[in-house]
Amino acid sequence: MSAAMGGPVVLDPYTLPSDDNVNPYAFSVDLNGEWFLQRGKMVAYYGRIDFHGLGHGPLDRLISVNFHSPLHAADWVVAQGQGKMLLADRAFDINSYDLADGNLTIRSGNLLAFQPGLSLKQSIIPGFLTLIGTGKFVAASNGAVVFVEPPVRVDPQALVGWADCPSPCHHYDHAYLRGVLGGVRMLTGLGGVSGEEHQFEFVGAGQVLLQSSERLMDDIDTGVVPRQPGVPAGQPHSGL
Amino acid sequence: MAFTQLTSKMVRADVAPGRPLFSQRGAMLAYTGQVTFTPSITGGQGGIGSMIGRRVANEATPLMTVEGSGSVMFGHGGHHAHVIELTGETLHVESDRLLAFEGGLRQGTMFMGSQGGVMGVIRGQVTGQGLFTTTLSGSGAVAVLAHGGVFELPIRPGAAVHVDPQAYVAHRGEVRNRLSAAVGWRELVGRGSGETFQLELTGEGAVYVQASEEKL
Repeated sequence: MSAAMGGPVVLDPYTLPSDDNVNPYAFSVDLNGEWFLQRGKMVAYYGRIDFHGLGHGPLDRLISVNFHSPLHAADWVVAQGQGKMLLADRAFDINSYDLADGNLTIRSGNLLAFQPGLSLKQSIIPGFLTLIGTGKFVAASNGAVVFVEPPVRVDPQALVGWADCPSPCHHYDHAYLRGVLGGVRMLTGLGGVSGEEHQFEFVGAGQVLLQSSERLMDDIDTGVVPRQPGVPAGQPHSGL
Repeated sequence: MAFTQLTSKMVRADVAPGRPLFSQRGAMLAYTGQVTFTPSITGGQGGIGSMIGRRVANEATPLMTVEGSGSVMFGHGGHHAHVIELTGETLHVESDRLLAFEGGLRQGTMFMGSQGGVMGVIRGQVTGQGLFTTTLSGSGAVAVLAHGGVFELPIRPGAAVHVDPQAYVAHRGEVRNRLSAAVGWRELVGRGSGETFQLELTGEGAVYVQASEEKL
């Protein structure tokens, strides 16, 4: 961090970090070309930067390579040009991550921005987005993100995303409701519930990203998926 | 040490057979290994008598017993977590600030009036502690929640510490606390400094203060 103890640091186009955090809550992008960002997450910029909404325009080809679901494209903006761009999101902690020919699935509300080397897809799991390819992306979280190696079981609200491990599944734990005492407990409600009966379970090789609190960010719409046999959560009138 | 501070808001605790933990319900973020979470009917330790005591004292924050073998990550509501190591002293803390604590610690309830009588009761009202507060004694680790970061101020004989009641989190050791009120004519006409009430802590120990005047 550049904010040393010696007093306030003046940031200008030359002292702003390049593709790095300014402080835990703001990220500086050294833009030279294009970046994709969630609408409304840019707080300031230096230089010549144009912001294009996704739609019919000169960037259609780029967008068609990087976006694979047309309906949530409306929530994204392309920043094009040269300069330093600052990203922030309601004072949440912001971190950048590098993917090298990898994949990462993230809760839709947590993803702020990504480089065009990555392509954004809807996850099969509703409410999540998957990034595939090589490049840098920026994500927000409530408290710093902690990486955990599977096997691990995660509280649904603490899950930010996961990389490389293909087995997100539900795990239920009602052991204390079994047996005679458990039956009494279940029928009377005596003793209450632990609030930890349901987790997401991950096994296999990879990384699971946790945020350190159970407060969620608002989801952004990931778009609907086509209604077809075999497509989970498919809805009629998808725009495809 | 059973608790490891992972980030300012997340704590990891190791659980082993025969070494259970108590934690606030719903505060588990993730775990590895074979761990079970059972809502504690008695809301902690000490059998039925203590349970009734806690219910009456309204210090019965829903707790769960964490047993098995593995490691568990705790955090709650985006609040900062702070680990306190106890070596034989007594920690006084509000029960809703308890994130998790080792099962080996003895849990009790203290009547605020037992320190300073009526003034103690008033102190409880001002600090938001109410009439009762929870005590933990023995050897082990406790993770407490606070709004903003927590720092520890040592209390030594002859060096009393004054704390804003709203910023007070917990204290440990042989400490007497007293509410000092500086009420003058300015307070009476509504032109006070806003720092009328202070907790004065004297004795030997430490007080934990949060960098915020917001309650949990």
